[in-house]
Amino acid sequence: MVIKTETCRFSGLRIYPGRAVKFVRTDTQIFTFLKSKCRTLFNQRKKPAKLAWTSLYRKQHKKDLTTEVTKRKKRGGKATLSRAIAGASLEVIQKKRAEKPEVRQAARDSALREVKERMKKDKASKKAAAKASYKGKR
Amino acid sequence: MIQAQSFLKVADNTGARKIMCIRVLGGRKKYANVGDVFIGVVKDAAPNMPVKKSDVVRAVVVRTRKGLQRENGITLRFEENAAVIVNAEDQPRGTRLFGPIARELRDRNFTKIISLAPEVL
Repeated sequence: MVIKTETCRFSGLRIYPGRAVKFVRTDTQIFTFLKSKCRTLFNQRKKPAKLAWTSLYRKQHKKDLTTEVTKRKKRGGKATLSRAIAGASLEVIQKKRAEKPEVRQAARDSALREVKERMKKDKASKKAAAKASYKGKR
Repeated sequence: MIQAQSFLKVADNTGARKIMCIRVLGGRKKYANVGDVFIGVVKDAAPNMPVKKSDVVRAVVVRTRKGLQRENGITLRFEENAAVIVNAEDQPRGTRLFGPIARELRDRNFTKIISLAPEVL
């Protein structure tokens, strides 16, 4: 069983059940303090970053071994897996990925040119057909 | 710790701004805390509102600087002493409340106050 703990707003220490003084400001902001030491220092408007025993100070001055940071790094770097999807198999995808942008651009240009040419031809043939039918009617 | 002569802020829209406790209700009770009813005098009030200055009113304490001890050992403290003006049936006379309000009021059957509160802690 894991005991549910809170953190002290001033010292940053863990608060186990059965302790804590909660100070509720009228704007409903809640400050939880571990002990009267934290509470009085807060009331004196002391800055926890300037007191050497608070966790904030220790973090700022790198007093503790940074185990948390390494943990976060591990969790953050998620490896992206590539796999076959729908019609494209894995090899096809890999090939596409390996292609250089120039090659891709060239392929695209050639395809475009082909389409344009075909459209031109179509237009010309249609024109000729229209002319022929017009002549026939006359 | 609200006793006779204590000044409290009024956390509702009845028009009263400050009230002074003149008697804590409930037998030989010396001090009132959150959920206790007391008789008070309006010491400061907004103009043209139902509650006037020097009116004698019933009110419930909703916030105290002394704070209250919860069953689980946590102490809940507030920034100010505040009260809500109620009628003889313990229903709030205002239609709106301001500021956080402790859950302990529900145990004392001030359900209307709880429902009107913007934040229940």
